[in-house]
Amino acid sequence: MNLMLNILLNVTIAFLLGSLLFGLQRKVMARIQMRPGPPIIQHLLHTLKFYIKESTFPKTAAMPFYIAIASILCVIWVSAVIVGPVAQGSLLLIFAIYALHKIVEHNAGSSSGSPYGKLSCVRAVFSAAAEVPLFAVLIIIYLKTGTMVLSDITAYQAQNGALLFTIPLAALMFFVLILSKAPYSPFAITKGKDIISGYETEHFGLLRGYLMISESIAWYMLLWIFLTVFLGPLSLLGYLVGMVIISVIVAFINATTPMLNPNHSIMVQVTLVFIGIVGSIILLML
Amino acid sequence: MNETSYLLYLISFVLGSVVGLVLSYQKYKSPFAIDKIDVLALIISIIGWFLTLNSPLLTFIPSYISIAIGLFLVAMVLGMRPGYGRYETIIGLLLGGIIWLLRTVAL
Repeated sequence: MNLMLNILLNVTIAFLLGSLLFGLQRKVMARIQMRPGPPIIQHLLHTLKFYIKESTFPKTAAMPFYIAIASILCVIWVSAVIVGPVAQGSLLLIFAIYALHKIVEHNAGSSSGSPYGKLSCVRAVFSAAAEVPLFAVLIIIYLKTGTMVLSDITAYQAQNGALLFTIPLAALMFFVLILSKAPYSPFAITKGKDIISGYETEHFGLLRGYLMISESIAWYMLLWIFLTVFLGPLSLLGYLVGMVIISVIVAFINATTPMLNPNHSIMVQVTLVFIGIVGSIILLML
Repeated sequence: MNETSYLLYLISFVLGSVVGLVLSYQKYKSPFAIDKIDVLALIISIIGWFLTLNSPLLTFIPSYISIAIGLFLVAMVLGMRPGYGRYETIIGLLLGGIIWLLRTVAL
C-alpha cells in the first residue's frame, strides 16, 4: 500500500477508535455510578463540535506559541502512529514522543496565561517525574528481548510467548502509565477538576478540537503499544478486543477511585516504578 | 480483516450511532424511565447482530459489506438516546451470539 495512504488510514483509525474508546469509558463509568451515561460517540461528537465553534484567544496568551502548541501535540501523536502501526519502528522513538508529549502538556498550560493552566503546567512537570520513569519499562523489555524494534519484539513473542507472562511487573508499570493518561483517572492530576480542565482550560474552538484529536490518538497509541509489546502478534480483531477490555478495566478503576492529591499520585507511581523495575530485574535474574 | 475494512466498520458504526441518536431524540421526547421494549429497535438490533456475527452465512454478499451493514444497525440501537435501546441490544446480542455459537462450536 502507498505509504501516505497507509499513514492516513492508520491515523483515521486511531482517531476514531480512540474517541469511541473514550466514549465507552464514560458509558461504563456512568453505568457503575447508576446513571444512563452519554452515548458512546459523545467524545467524538464533542471533538467535531469544537470545529464549528468560534475560536477565541485570551489576551494573556503567549502568541504564536499558544496556537502552535495545540498543533504540535497533534503532530507528535500522528508521528507516534507512523512509528508504531505504520513503520513498526523503535520503541525509543515512542519514548521520545511521550517525553515530548509531557513537554507540550507543560507548555500548553503555561502559554494561555490562565492560573489554572499554569497550575496544570506545574503538575505536568511534576507528573513527568513519575510517568517518564514508568515508560522506562522499555529497559526491562530490552533486557529480556535484546531489541527495541517493535517488529523484532513481536517476532520474539511469536517464538517465545507473550511478554505479559514473563515480565508481568513491567506490564503492570505500563498499565499504570495508561491509567495515568485516562480522563478521571486517580493519577490524572494535570486535568484535575480542582483546576477546571487543567492545561486545556483556556483552549477553545479549533484549538480544543486539535487537543481532543491528540488525546484520542494518544489513547489508541498507548493501548496499541501495550498490546503489541506485551501480548505479541495480534490480529486487528485482537487489537480491538484488547483495547475494549483495557478501556473497560480502566473505566472500572476510574469510576471507583477518587483523584489523588498530586503528591500522593506521584508517590504511588514512583513506588510502582521502583517495585516494577527492581522486581522485574530480580525476576529476570532468577 | 484488513485495515481498510477496519476503517469501514468504524465509520459504519459512527454513522449508525449518529443516525440512531438523531432518530431516537425525534421519537422519544422524554428521558428514559419506563422499561418498555421498542419492537422496531429490537428487530433492527437482531438483524444487526446477526449480520455482524454471522456474515459467513450470507454467501451472496461479501462479508465486509454485511458486517458494515450489521454494525450500522447495531450502532443505531446502541447509540439511541441514553437509556433507550439497552434491552434491545442485549436481546440482539444474545440471539446473534447463540447463532454464532451454534455455527462455530456446535456444528
